[in-house]
Amino acid sequence: MIAALLLLIPFISALALLVLRPAQARPIALVSTLASLAVVVFAWISYTGGMVIHYDYDWMNAWGLRFVVGYDGVGLLMLILTAVVFPFIIGAGYGQQHDRPAIFNALLLFTQTFLFGVFLAQNALLFYIFYELTLIPVFFLLLYWGGENRRNITVRFFIYTLLGGLSLLFGLVYLLIQSGGNGDFTALHGLSIQGGTQVWLFWILFLAFAIKLPIFPFHSWQPETYYMAPLQGTMVLGAVMLKMGLYGVYKIVFPIVPLGVEHWQSTVILLALIGAVYAGIIAFRQSDLKRLVAFSSLSHVGVLCAGLFAWNTYGISGSLYQAFAHAILVVGMLYLVGAMHERMGSTDMNAMGGLKNSMPRLAALFLLVLVNAVALPLTQSFVGEWLMFAGLWQVDGWLTLLAVSTIVLGAIYMLYAYQRVMLGPDRANMQLQDATTRDHIYLVPLIAVTLILGVHPGPILELVDAPVLQLLSSLSVN
Amino acid sequence: MSALVLLSVLGVVLLYLGLFSGRGILAPVGILGLLAAFVLFAADWHLESPLFGGLVIFDTYARSFSLVMIVVTVLLFLFGMDYYAKVRENVAEHYALMVFSLVGGVLICSFTNLVMLFLGIEILSIPLYILAGGKRDSFRSGEAAFKYFLQGAFASGFLLMGLALIYGATASFDLAAIEAWSAVAANGGNMLFLLGLFLTLAGLAFKVAAVPFHFWSPDVYEGAPTLITAFMSTVVKTAAFAAFYRFIANIQLPGAVENMLVVMTLCTLFLGNIVALRQTQFKRLMAYSSIAHTGFLLLAFLGTDSRTPDVLFYYLGTYALATVGLFIVLTLAKRAALGDENIRIFRGLFRSNPWIAIAAMLMLLSLAGIPLTAGFVAKYRVFVMGIANGYLWTTLFAVVMALVGIYYYILVIREAFTPQDQESKALAVAPINWLVISLCGVGVVALGVLPGLLRL
Repeated sequence: MIAALLLLIPFISALALLVLRPAQARPIALVSTLASLAVVVFAWISYTGGMVIHYDYDWMNAWGLRFVVGYDGVGLLMLILTAVVFPFIIGAGYGQQHDRPAIFNALLLFTQTFLFGVFLAQNALLFYIFYELTLIPVFFLLLYWGGENRRNITVRFFIYTLLGGLSLLFGLVYLLIQSGGNGDFTALHGLSIQGGTQVWLFWILFLAFAIKLPIFPFHSWQPETYYMAPLQGTMVLGAVMLKMGLYGVYKIVFPIVPLGVEHWQSTVILLALIGAVYAGIIAFRQSDLKRLVAFSSLSHVGVLCAGLFAWNTYGISGSLYQAFAHAILVVGMLYLVGAMHERMGSTDMNAMGGLKNSMPRLAALFLLVLVNAVALPLTQSFVGEWLMFAGLWQVDGWLTLLAVSTIVLGAIYMLYAYQRVMLGPDRANMQLQDATTRDHIYLVPLIAVTLILGVHPGPILELVDAPVLQLLSSLSVN
Repeated sequence: MSALVLLSVLGVVLLYLGLFSGRGILAPVGILGLLAAFVLFAADWHLESPLFGGLVIFDTYARSFSLVMIVVTVLLFLFGMDYYAKVRENVAEHYALMVFSLVGGVLICSFTNLVMLFLGIEILSIPLYILAGGKRDSFRSGEAAFKYFLQGAFASGFLLMGLALIYGATASFDLAAIEAWSAVAANGGNMLFLLGLFLTLAGLAFKVAAVPFHFWSPDVYEGAPTLITAFMSTVVKTAAFAAFYRFIANIQLPGAVENMLVVMTLCTLFLGNIVALRQTQFKRLMAYSSIAHTGFLLLAFLGTDSRTPDVLFYYLGTYALATVGLFIVLTLAKRAALGDENIRIFRGLFRSNPWIAIAAMLMLLSLAGIPLTAGFVAKYRVFVMGIANGYLWTTLFAVVMALVGIYYYILVIREAFTPQDQESKALAVAPINWLVISLCGVGVVALGVLPGLLRL
């Protein structure tokens, strides 16, 4: 029932919006996402551990495709993440002027449907189908509502992502043949593939997720796409879609090609961290707030990926936990970018400065969102980062140092940005509107989530712990 | 057999109708006739008796392909009602020739004797030479007809020579006898047979437009009237592939021929996709895309696999569905753009005709092979078979080429969903065209979600 509801609520709402085109599309979409959230919360409360399979239907059985949906702790975490973030993504639309809001919101809801599908799928091909489908609504979001030069950037984004997707498909088909035509994850996880094969198969499978995340050197599509996309599109990309990359590594790469992971582990960590430091340095040089968020996200994702590939309990749990924190952070930051754009008409930091004088409340909210970005203790990010560093430490001390340096970099560019926007003499000298009720309704819950989960990370970590331990122990047995 | 006779008579009846009465009833009569043939084919589903002294057999394979070709022809005739509405002359001939060509197509799906293969291909092709030149006042159309005829005659020569050599080696035109002969190990190295196979396959490769026998297709596609282009890239392609597979399915192919097929597959995939990247004219794009799809279909031929006929059937059926719809959309957009065929003419389509744009998008996504469309299922099955039969690297190459393919389809979608600079007028869409486009758009998704609906 839960799985069906999660797939049907957003899908039917989206279809309704598409067909009926009501004038007030946004409240309908908001109600739909809140309903999904309620379902997920119910799933969370009633979850007692282990793998929950909801449906198991034949589809193209002879070709390895079956409709099997369900979730384990990690899947549930991803479902929670998606469900929590989407009402905020829809809500960010207030204050934005859109051509054809009904279609815009319908596309967002389609994306949510397919994302739920990705996190629910327990068959590799079903996973692949949903994974590719998420791209279609986002493609149109970017193409129709994007900013300058959207035609070329969107196509590049699409092709780049599909390159990874098709590589994944090739790998999955290869695995399907090995397993005798059974594409369920349980069957694929049971395969033991030769070490030599795993070495190349690792990249075939990982390429999709490396591009989706993205990690260095597969990141070249990301900054421009994030910058050009409509605000809510960037939120979808940054907050949820890239988490598919992490989830994919956890669900497909780790259990199926463990020897390949072992072989490439240090390479991937190094690449991810190089990317993290590199993006951090570029972020420092940005004068545009939205670009800054794009590069800071790139930097954070590098650390997330490195933590995941630490390949131990601390690293994996930390990375998955931080995935949640990062989603909340990205949404908060981007909302602030939008709020500044509403007031100033641009997101150029050179035009800002001293805004704290005219809007002290918004400045305070900005700072509270920011402390999560710099992983200050008592915030959610602190827990995640700390776990990831503990995990990385078990791999290599020097790499940990590199990882920690990204936090320092993060603190520098984030606080520097805050200084340029909010502090100093009032350069803009405009009487700007302070935080409105809408801003409070939007940001206060986000900040509350950050702080509560920063102090009390237990509920989330409990979800992740058991499956991660199980994964690692099953690998050590093999 | 009754269906075959009915179809042949239908062509003649259409010709006479053209002499005596208005153009209005041509398409309805044609469609009724085709539907009757459909029913006749479907009715004797379980009868599998050889006809004409063992030249032809209507087994499940032949009947399934024939049914698909008839359905696609019906869709094209529906389109024809609007397409030929303003044409004064020779409309009846067009319909009749398409029906005659269809008869040839039905024959080569069902041949059991190589003589019938040759006859069928000629019956299929000769009406096409005329149809390609259907726009008599158009230079391009005449050029297309001439090129198609010359190269087609050449290919027929190859085919005939090949069949003669095979006869020389095996002393039989009967397919079953040749299959049995080729299974004898001692006959493996027979040069006569090898050469015969090479030449025959070259002749068939010409019909399916596989590289290096593809040169006719872009020019002919571009020059021929759009309805005929659609007919060639769907019905004719389906028939040619059905014949191709029927011919090689059970023959023990020598290693050299297997290798030739692999090389042909690789070249077709590469050339079709790469050259399509540079096309700005929609019809040429569709021509190269058709070549590219030939490459994917050839991949399904490699190795022996009992699933091949089913995969072939599904692939060709869904490809035809998407292609017919797109050619109709092209015709509508082309009319509004006063004959321009550049992909720019689709710009602003989503603004002006949202549903047509969405349907076109679905069809293009299907050709590109994006999940939940039929095109994805088709390509996916081909990939699975490729890897399962041990062609790992060829399949990897095909996957890369599929990505290239996605790129040029996406460019068309991008045009449709980019608002035009000045406010564009909505295209005039006749209800019948709207219906066919919707049918094709919904069809590719329905068959993608429920692939079991279309199988042998």
